[in-house]
Parts: sequence; structure tokens; C-alpha cells
Amino acid sequence: MRVDRKEALRYLGYRGQEIEGQTLQMIEEIAAELEENSSPKSIYHEYGCKVTKDMVKLGGLEIKSHNLSVNLKGCERAVLLAATIGRTADFMIRKYSISNFAKAAIVQAAGAACIESYVDEVEEAVRKDAASRGLYLRPRFSPGYGDFSLEYQKDIFTLLECSKRIGITLTEGNLMMPSKSVTAVIGLTAKERESCQMEKCSLCAKTDCEFRQEGD
Amino acid sequence: MSLKERLGKELLFFDGAMGTLLQERGLQSGELPEIWNMTKENVIGEIHREYLDVGCDIIKANTFGANPFKMKGTGYSCQEVTAKGIAIAKHAIVESGKKAYAALDIGSLGKLLEPLGDLSFEAAYQAFVPMCTAGEHAGADLCLIETMNDTYEIKAAVLAAKEHTSLPVVVTMVFDECGKLLTGADMEAAVAMLEGLRVDALGLNCGFGPDIMKKFLPRLREITSLPIVVNPNAGLPVVVDGKTSFHVGPEEFAGIMKEIAQDGVSVLGGCCGTTPAHLHALVESCRDIPAMVLTDKNRSVVSSYTHAVEMDQHPKIIGERINPTGKSRFKQALREQDLEYIYKEALAQQDRGAHILDVNVGLPEIDEVEMMRSVVTGLQGITDLPLQIDTSNPTAMETAMRLYNGKPLINSVNGKQESMDVVFPLAAKYGAMVVCLTLDENGIPKTAKGRIQIAEKIIAEAAKYGIGKKDLLIDTLTMTISTGQENAKITLEALHYVRNVLGVHTTLGVSNISFGLPLRGHVNTAFFTIALSQGLSAGIINPNSEEMMAAYHSFCALNGSDGNCSDYIARYSKQSEQQKKGPEKSGELRLFDAVVRGLSDSAYHAAKKELENKKPLEVIDQELIPALDQVGQGFEKKTVFLPQLLMSADAAKAGFDAIKEHLKAEGGAQASKGTIVIATVKGDIHDIGKNIVKVLLENYGFQVIDLGKDVPPETVVEAARKHQVKLVGLSALMTTTVANMELTIKMIKEEFPGCKVMVGGAVLTQTYADMIGADFYSKDAMGSVRYANELFASDGR
Repeated sequence: MRVDRKEALRYLGYRGQEIEGQTLQMIEEIAAELEENSSPKSIYHEYGCKVTKDMVKLGGLEIKSHNLSVNLKGCERAVLLAATIGRTADFMIRKYSISNFAKAAIVQAAGAACIESYVDEVEEAVRKDAASRGLYLRPRFSPGYGDFSLEYQKDIFTLLECSKRIGITLTEGNLMMPSKSVTAVIGLTAKERESCQMEKCSLCAKTDCEFRQEGD
Repeated sequence: MSLKERLGKELLFFDGAMGTLLQERGLQSGELPEIWNMTKENVIGEIHREYLDVGCDIIKANTFGANPFKMKGTGYSCQEVTAKGIAIAKHAIVESGKKAYAALDIGSLGKLLEPLGDLSFEAAYQAFVPMCTAGEHAGADLCLIETMNDTYEIKAAVLAAKEHTSLPVVVTMVFDECGKLLTGADMEAAVAMLEGLRVDALGLNCGFGPDIMKKFLPRLREITSLPIVVNPNAGLPVVVDGKTSFHVGPEEFAGIMKEIAQDGVSVLGGCCGTTPAHLHALVESCRDIPAMVLTDKNRSVVSSYTHAVEMDQHPKIIGERINPTGKSRFKQALREQDLEYIYKEALAQQDRGAHILDVNVGLPEIDEVEMMRSVVTGLQGITDLPLQIDTSNPTAMETAMRLYNGKPLINSVNGKQESMDVVFPLAAKYGAMVVCLTLDENGIPKTAKGRIQIAEKIIAEAAKYGIGKKDLLIDTLTMTISTGQENAKITLEALHYVRNVLGVHTTLGVSNISFGLPLRGHVNTAFFTIALSQGLSAGIINPNSEEMMAAYHSFCALNGSDGNCSDYIARYSKQSEQQKKGPEKSGELRLFDAVVRGLSDSAYHAAKKELENKKPLEVIDQELIPALDQVGQGFEKKTVFLPQLLMSADAAKAGFDAIKEHLKAEGGAQASKGTIVIATVKGDIHDIGKNIVKVLLENYGFQVIDLGKDVPPETVVEAARKHQVKLVGLSALMTTTVANMELTIKMIKEEFPGCKVMVGGAVLTQTYADMIGADFYSKDAMGSVRYANELFASDGR
């Protein structure tokens, strides 16, 4: 697991400004501290799934979400995945919020970059396994995207035993702790054409978002 | 013989998995196994019987997840499901006609404790209590706290079991492939805490099969004096179509377990994936192997939530700075509840190389118990160093020990009977190492012999509570040489005897030696070095003093405890390069430039210098604010990058600190431009954006009441009322919590129609902000400063 420096900069709102040497050095130090102390963990299970217009049946769950249905359209199997880089990032954010605010913001950004690249790694393992069976991956889709309600976090957590296996728990409001964690559904399809990358951002209503990425 | 007596004397056998067998019998994924106690009692009983028939001595009742959180909404209470689980197990034992024990099985609550999660330590403790009481009442023979991965949660469970039952307590934990719990705690930290809490046995379960678990055992045998329990899975779980299976068969399982037994353990059993067949093979192959012989490892350790610190040949530094004695700034911080000041002291000492932090927050005019509670909780969220709880107030001491996530050091007990009667029971209950002052009813003896006699008295009294020498740290008391030339000699002679003849570790508050003398550092370092060579195990010093740290590191290099001088070299090789280059000139910067460049130390010193000739208000208006404006505008134009804005904000804050100190010295106070309440709304736990807004608003002269994160609407309204504010700032990151933002705005507007609300956060847009009735949408932190400036300027305060 590595902190993608470019992504960390993007999360920090970097848009080509001049960066002083001490800032770059600070980012490097934080990234190294995070890489050294984080303990990434993940778990995923594969299930058969049934997709109708507004409903996805998966591992005994019935998920009502139009956006997820569109994402999984035509898939007969899907993977439920949870991953975290652990508690270090949260600890560092608390620590640096006291002693050095810029560092706290950098941990926030570097941690976000870190969990994304870690989930990419996990997804790569899923992809290889799927490929050996002639299956392709749909883009991963998480609770909170579009109309896929965060309420389903509870069920996902029960199915994957997230708390016991990899140490992520849910707050009353269904947010994950440690905060640098991800849950997602990944559809598996036999048709390569349908697995084309759809940019996550295209679904989001916040069109003026600073971090919005348009499709290539 | 009772179970407690048998533990550690003969090899005993736990049973295997329950959940795995229930799944084979139709338990659905996501269904709670404990409910079967109520609906399929016979199935549970049959499984117990199968394990009993193959020779298991201890069966785990089906109560693992019967805690109040998991039982909520099932239609059954924690107590009835727990009691029924025990009853089924007891019944199975009676039916089998064997001599066996029923364990009240206590698993994790599935929630994360503070400071990381949202469950308080006390709430976790309260959740375990009904399980423990119902379990004992129903006839359980022991409490098994298992599959745990957080020492803090374990402590809550152990305290619940110890305070509400008289049952033996066994704890098994899940370590990852690096030998750590999910919280990052290593085995040494967990063992230190559990031995302190006086559990009856400890060990490993779940996570891995016996092959990997075997690798952790040599280290565990080295560090624990307690019986060891090993309950592995039947290998790693393999999930196919949502069905979990385990692939290590009974013979293979038993084969590795036999090797483990031969190397030495006290109790063997199984976890996920193991079946009566596995346990049959295990009992058959290990039945005649004797249990590991228990020996006292005699380790003197304290621990934090991540690691242990052992008193040994390598002396330790206890940082003394968190203490108001003789420090007016610290006293002010305590009176004003300025915890951030205290936390900064902690982090600075850690950076300087302290191993343990002393925490003294006593002042006559404050509530020491509440302050201790806040500070210990806060410190555990930002530093992983073990803490030394320093108080003479027994309630504050107990509060801190209870909340402490690890095995603390306590400062202190002394030879007075009254002191020992109060402190030793607490140390025995919560598990602590104790600093022992060699004074008693007759004061401080003027001879080394007198102090040694008190040390011996304290050692004997501690033993009555089961507190061994290894958990004492004797302080032979430093008295200043300015009032008695013999003082250093007396202290050192006693110290040498205690360490080398009595064989007990030692500590000293070093700097007292020079009280009343000029240039105290000279005497302190010399005395410190001599004390170290006489057997000082842990010096209570100021780690910010470079000469003390230099003496310490030199001593360690000289006495051989710093292997290859590697610490010394790591610490000083960079410094010697810098000395060659000459000192940096950044101290000469103007305040304006220091803030723009984000240099906190320079800004502080530059502000001090400017205050010699200028009025505080001039310094603010001519230097600080223009610098902040320049950086802020750059940020809005995207020429300045966020971390640089924040470094400038920190530097400006350092400048303001200098001004505050100046005003304080002159008896004045800085005028506030106005008061603003800010909060992250209910349900949302992201607060870094809100914290950035706070720092910037404070820099621009506003008084900010920060309510924190996950704040209910009522609390925001209450704060608005209390402080009569005309501006509230709210932050939300999630779409789901924007609803709570809307509700908060509605409630504020109902009660205070004139109060403005500004909002910000990742999901918000101008449209959203308009929709939920906010007065201003700020797309970044500088926007909120601009809005506040305009609002407060337009109509005065």
C-alpha cells in the first residue's frame, strides 16, 4: 500500500500552485508516516445476484436502488467488498490537529488517497480471479452513491462480519470508523463491452464540485 | 479442585466452534446464533453434548453475541438469552455425567470505543454488566472474554466480570499476522494490561489456524506469567457463494496442536471451523501431555494502548511538564479548560524522546476529578505513550486508572499507613505500577538508612495486596543541595541500595537537586548522570531540556544499553552537520513575512520583538491581518495551496499567542470582534473542515465556540442562546446529514430569527444551501471569514 502523492495533492485542492519545498517535504513525511503505520485489511465475498429495474437481490439482501440496478444491469454475480487502512490516519489527524494544522489536512488527503489506492489493489485481485473464469468487472459502487442508501451498510457489515474480521464498525449514522474505509458492490459480467469504465462522478449531483472528475 | 486451581496445573480442553455447526444445521448468514437458545434449544444442547462426549473440559455457552446492542430489536433481552444459554450448557453437562465447566462466552460488542469510535468506555462497561450478572446467576463456571481485538473493550469487559461476578476470567484475543490487535496494540501491551487486571488466563483465538498461531507462542510464553489458552480456527476461512468453510481437517489440526502442547500451554481448544471430530482428535493426541509449568517472568512493565515500556537496563525518561506547579501559564490553561495547551505539552515531550508522560492537573480551584477524566481521555486520543497518573486525590486517581487504556504508572504512594491503605487496593484492582516515596508519618528521613527502611516497609505492605516488587518504582527523594550538602549523597546511597540490594526499580524527580542555585541545569545534568550510574531506572525530568537529554543519551551510549550507540547517532548526527553550517537566520524575519511563509516559531519571536516598540493593536492591524489577508486572497485565487494557508494560520496563531501573553502581563485582554458558534451537525463525524474554519475565524479576532462534531440541533440552539450569538456556522459532509443541518437551521431560526447561519461542507452547493434556509454558503474556509467580517462590520457587534 502506497500513498499516491499526486492524488493526495489533488485532494488537497492542488491546481498547479507553486509549492514551497517545506510543504513538499511535509507531504513526504506524512505519507511515509502513514505508509509505515497503517495496517490495511480487506474482506470480500462473491454472491449470485438478481437485478431488476429498481431492485438488486444479493446474498440474501434486497437492495432498493435504481442507480445500483443500472450499475449491475445484466450481472448474475457480484462481489461485496469492505476495506480499511486502519486507525492510524484518524489518530494522526487528531494528533496533528493539536500540533500542526497543515499536517492534519495533509493526513486527511493522503489517507483518502491511500484507501482509494488500496481498494484499487483489492479490486485488482478480484479482477484477476474473475478473469480466470471469463468474467469482467463493473465499476465499484458504494452505499451513499446516488440512491444507494447508507442504511444498507448495516446489512453489508453483518454479511461480511466487518467488525470482527477487519475492525471497521458503524456509527449510529451508518458512517464507518476508522474513517478511511470503503464498502462497495462490484458486479461481475460475462460481457466485456458492458464492463466499460463509467466515471463515478457522473452520477453525483454536485456538478460544481472542486474534485469532480469528468470521463476521459 | 475448582477450575481456578486446575488452571495451569493440568492441560485442559475447551470445545470447538458453535457457529460453524449451527450453519450446518441451517443457521442463515446474518441470523443471530444466540436466538437459537430460545427457538432451537435442542440443537444447541446436542452440540454441547457432542463436545462433552469427546472429552472437552470447558464448553462455551451460546452467548457470544448476547449483549444488549445485538439483542436490540430481536424481541429478547440480553439477560434472558444469556441465562438460557448457560442453562442449556449446564443441562448438557449434567446429562453427560462428566465433570466439565460452562463458560459464559462474551464476545465483542461490535462497536468502536472512543476516541476513535462513538461508544464511551463507561457505556461499553454497562453493556457487559447484564451479561455477567445473568451468566453467573444462571450458573456459569467462568467468564470467557474472547475474539477481542481492542484492549479498551477488553478492559471494560474484564471490569464488568470482576466487579459483578466472582467467576474466574479468561481472555483470548485475535492478533493479526504482524502479531498486533486491530487497535495496533502489540502482545506486550495486551499482556501487561491483562496481568495487571489479574485475569486468570489469557491467550489467542480465531483469526488463524494452529500453524500460524504457533508462531506467536514463543514470544507469549516469554512475557506472560499466566496460563496460556490457544483456540485456533480450522485454518483460514474460505468463502464460496457466501458460505464460509475451513479446510484444516481433524488429524492435521490435532497434529499441530500436539506440537503446541509439547512446547507448553495450559488450555487447548478450537474456534471457527473446528468440529467435535477436530476436538476428538485433539483430546486423543494431547491428553497425556502435561501443562506448561508456570513461572513468574518478573517483568516490570507499564503500557499504553499500543505498546509496553519495560523497566530494565535501559533507563527511561518520564516527562514532567504536564504539571501546574510553579507554572502560571499552565495554571491559566487549567482554569480556562484550555486542554489544547496541555496536549501540546504532551506532544512536544514525546517528540523530544519521553517514554512515559506524568499527568498532574491538580489545582485547588478546579474540579480535579473531572479535569483528570478529560485530560486522560484526550491524551489517549493523541499520544501512544504510557501515562503516569500523578495526583493525591484518590477519586481522581481511581477515575484515571479506570479510564486508562493499558497498565498505568501511579504517582504516588508513600510510607504513611493511610496512603498505602488508599493506593494499594486501587493499584491491585486496576493493575498499576506504583511510584513509592520513601517518607512516612515522621517525614523524610535524613539518612539513607531511614529511607531504605521505609522502602522495605512499603514493599512488605504492597505484598499483602499481591503487588510484587516488579510493580514498584521506589523514589528515594531528591532534596536540594542548597539546604544540605549531604542531600545528594543520601538520596544516591539509598537509590543504589534499593536498586542493587533490594532489587526494586527506582525513580527520582531529578531537578529538585538544584533548587535555589543559579544555572540549575549544570547541577541537574551532573546529578542525573550520577543517579543513572547508581541505578536510576526512570528519571522524572523535563525532556525539553537539551542538556538533560544529552546527558541521558550519552549515559545510555556509555552504559551499553544503547546498542551500537544507534540512538545517540540518530539523534546527534544531524545536529553536528547543522552546527557546521551555522545557525539558520529565520529568527530575523519580520512578523508579516513569518506569517506569509508559515513559520510559527519565527512568527512568535517576531511578534515579541515588535511588541517592544508597538502597541498590540498596531501589530495586529499592520502585520498579522495584512499577512493573513494576503495568504487568504492567494488561496481564493488558487495561487496559494491549502497546506500553506494552514501553515500561515498556525504561524499567525503563534503571533497572537505572543500578543495574548503580552496583554496578560499588562493585565489586559484582547478585544473580540464577536462570538460565533460552530458545529458539525448530528450524525456527521467529519470535522477537519470545521476546524480549519475555527482557526481562521480565531485569527481574525472572533471568539469561536466550537461544539465539536455529531452535535444535536438542541445543543446548537442552546449554545446560541447562552452566548447570544448572531452567527452560527454549520458543517456537514454527507448527503444524509444535510437533513440534520436543515433541522438545526429551522430550530435556530424559530428561536432567533435574527441569527444568521452560514454552512459549508463537501456535499453542499449554493442550491442546497438555499433550499435548507441557510443565509450563506461558504465554499471554503476563507469565505466564512469574509462573511463574518462583513456581518460584524455592518452593524457593529
